[in-house]
Amino acid sequence: MTTPTAERGSRRAERIRLYAQPLIVFGIVAIVLAWAFGSDLDAIEQRSINASTILTLTWQHVEITAVVTALVLVVAVPLGVVLTRRWAKPLAPLVLGLANIGQAAPAVGLLVLFFLATGWTGFWVVVLPTALYALLPVLRNTMVGLQQVDPALVEAGRGIGMSGFSVLRRIEFPLAVPFVLAGLRTALVLAVGVATLAMLVDGGGLGVMIDTGYKLRRTSVLVVGAVLAVALALLVDWLGALAEQLLGPKGLR
Amino acid sequence: MSFWEFLASRWEQVLVDSYLHASAVLQCTVIAAVIGIFVGIGVYRSPGGSAVATALASAVLTIPSFALLGLLIPVLGLGVAPTVTALVLYALLPIVRNTIVGLSTVDKSVTDAARGIGMSRTGVLTRIELRLAWPSILAGMRVSTQMLMGIAAIAAYAKGPGLGNLIFSGLQRVGGANAVNMAVAGTLGVIVLALVVDGLWVLVGRLTTPRGIR
Repeated sequence: MTTPTAERGSRRAERIRLYAQPLIVFGIVAIVLAWAFGSDLDAIEQRSINASTILTLTWQHVEITAVVTALVLVVAVPLGVVLTRRWAKPLAPLVLGLANIGQAAPAVGLLVLFFLATGWTGFWVVVLPTALYALLPVLRNTMVGLQQVDPALVEAGRGIGMSGFSVLRRIEFPLAVPFVLAGLRTALVLAVGVATLAMLVDGGGLGVMIDTGYKLRRTSVLVVGAVLAVALALLVDWLGALAEQLLGPKGLR
Repeated sequence: MSFWEFLASRWEQVLVDSYLHASAVLQCTVIAAVIGIFVGIGVYRSPGGSAVATALASAVLTIPSFALLGLLIPVLGLGVAPTVTALVLYALLPIVRNTIVGLSTVDKSVTDAARGIGMSRTGVLTRIELRLAWPSILAGMRVSTQMLMGIAAIAAYAKGPGLGNLIFSGLQRVGGANAVNMAVAGTLGVIVLALVVDGLWVLVGRLTTPRGIR
């Protein structure tokens, strides 16, 4: 536990981001798009900087992020719950240790290795390794969140005759939700980040514009792609922050 | 060629890349620590300043590293300059945040006592507050190093140094004899380096933490 002053500092930082971030994001996107569409584009730039290309790539990016997040939620949360049950306790340090080592692997390495090993291209070759990578923060946070629940509350729940499952559903899990949401936010940001590398394995996404701009020496294309990717990451992070504010248990807010 | 045969024939290249990778990451962590500690010292007394510094640093951290690298290429060119800039920016958040937390959690009665025996403000800062905050700052540097290990691999895209070059060469040679070996060597190399350097940080912590608070 940190002391109250530090806690208040970071809460305040969160509040600043909650209000400032969406405004800044929309401002930057508007400026960059206005600049890009307003300048004289040559034929090569026009091939990348047009509404349909930008929308397609952004949509691919969003799709990768959404599917990765959904996969992570479906796998990591139940796994975290199972690993914190009493009969699975001895497994927990092993899984967390593995997860920590996995986190040390570079995302680009996982992506490239998965691509080389399977020979696939496209959507799933991006989604699967990214999901594996983004799984770890959610899994760890789910476990930490469930472990920090006061055992006295669990005892009390059992004492008034609740079943093991309803203690989990009505006491343990709601108290762990803030941790799960924090992990989910990290996973969302990781997913957007790794999705910018999707172009390495023909997976589309805004990284395509960065790559095209770099290889064909068209700074405008590079900047539009990069700024949109940054904006998407900040927006997704903001959604995560919003979820943390709105979905946490009321009593803990 | 099996992975071990590949490693035996290319171990020089792998070692050089590992060395460059580790040295880039560690140097950037040190640069970020110097900047981050100064920023922390500058803002830790004002709650508003601390909040703005933390908010900014954590917003920087959400930026996809490939996008930041892309944005730096037109400004700084290729190679070392964009790599170092990107790595330092990403390393800042944990260090700034932990410096602020470390400095602001120093017991008020300790600093009051120090002022009471006639120490100057800088004396209190350098001889008491920073030393008590050191374990927290060090923890921040450790987190930063871990993060930079993975981000540095992407820097190879902008012709930066390190193990990322092995991964990208593997990708370019897709279908070739050593493509998988190269990517495996690069990825495993980063994992091994990250674990080794993490151990080093624990050692540094042991050696540099003041005896009284160990």
